[in-house]
Amino acid sequence: MKILLAEDENDLREVITDYLEYQGHTVTAVPNGKEALDRAGSDAFDAMVMDVMMPVMDGITAMRRIRESGNTLPAIFLTAKGEVSDRIEGLDAGADDYLTKPFALEELHARLRALERRRRDYRVRTMTLGNLELNTETGELKAHNTISLSQKEVRMLSCLLAHTDRAMKAEELIREVWPGEDAGEGSVRIYISFLQDKLMSIHADVEIREDEDHSFRLQEVPNV
Amino acid sequence: MEDIYGGKRDVMTAVMNRIIRYIEANGKRHEQETGNKLYEHLSCRIKSEESMREKLARKGLEVTAENALHAVHDAIGVRVVCLFIDDVYETVRLLKDMSGCTVVQEKDYIRDAKPNGYRSYHMILETLENGEKYSAEIQLRTIAMDTWAALEHELKYKKSLENTELIVQELRRCANELAACDVSMQTIRRIIKEA
Repeated sequence: MKILLAEDENDLREVITDYLEYQGHTVTAVPNGKEALDRAGSDAFDAMVMDVMMPVMDGITAMRRIRESGNTLPAIFLTAKGEVSDRIEGLDAGADDYLTKPFALEELHARLRALERRRRDYRVRTMTLGNLELNTETGELKAHNTISLSQKEVRMLSCLLAHTDRAMKAEELIREVWPGEDAGEGSVRIYISFLQDKLMSIHADVEIREDEDHSFRLQEVPNV
Repeated sequence: MEDIYGGKRDVMTAVMNRIIRYIEANGKRHEQETGNKLYEHLSCRIKSEESMREKLARKGLEVTAENALHAVHDAIGVRVVCLFIDDVYETVRLLKDMSGCTVVQEKDYIRDAKPNGYRSYHMILETLENGEKYSAEIQLRTIAMDTWAALEHELKYKKSLENTELIVQELRRCANELAACDVSMQTIRRIIKEA
């Protein structure tokens, strides 16, 4: 893995760098958040380890700015404090995990491995049902023809594709497509309409059915 | 050099105008009934001497008036460009009802897009004029499909282009995105109508 490490304490920075490099990783070590932000923008990394309390720019600000730039790199932050609010702030700023100092280097390494594993699992690119193929990365939907989907359409369809064994309630789709937003059943129905027309336009042998209790399921239509 | 259409241009023009007048009349009626335009614009042409000769030669056919009029079907060409996909299909339906004309071939490249992303509805109409059979190719598409086709046409005739493969791939992506917009706008239009 190529790891970006931001830590202002020289000794600790060196110990972590040596350990991770000994484990076969490449480490780019910087002493503050500002430099971490710059490096994250100019280089490609597989993961990021960031201290919270640092001079010039603290870890939480740097993390937030990195996320704002669209970077989804897995990130762990290190905190000296056992403060709950500190950890919440860090996670909300976009970190995936945290470690409280002092910590065991082996544990840091294990958490990095876990993040990498999870990122790999999430990188499912193609979902299929019948003659339908959805590339969740490019948003390309393919059956007899191909058509592009918007981000929300991709989220809704991949959610339906992931649960073909049962009907999805409108609230479940709202949680998936509009996380943390105030969306209603009307919005769900509009996007279901978008998807239904697109499925038809590419001759998919798959359709979205609405059950009586206003839940939705994706199912194959044999021999249209 | 003898005229490739063997002196039949006037009759061909008459056939073409009959089709145009029919579409225009129906467009007017549709607009009066619904308040919406049936099509955005209408164009037509008689295939040029040069491209007809080139086409016959390319197909390995003898370059004669007989072949220009009967072996290929696009000596007369009409293009209807609509705002929405539904309007394309409505125009197709109207053309099928045109008296004195028979639809001899239909290709729905909107439902079955060509591999490069090309989308349009093609039909070949056959009609009798002065006791002789004439055919005309009608191409129907949305404005988005028309823009795409114009760009693809430019690409096809550009010989010196670097990264052609990438351009072709991006053009196919554009076709998919335009198709997505056409379908989404159709959905929105229906939702508005039903509201």
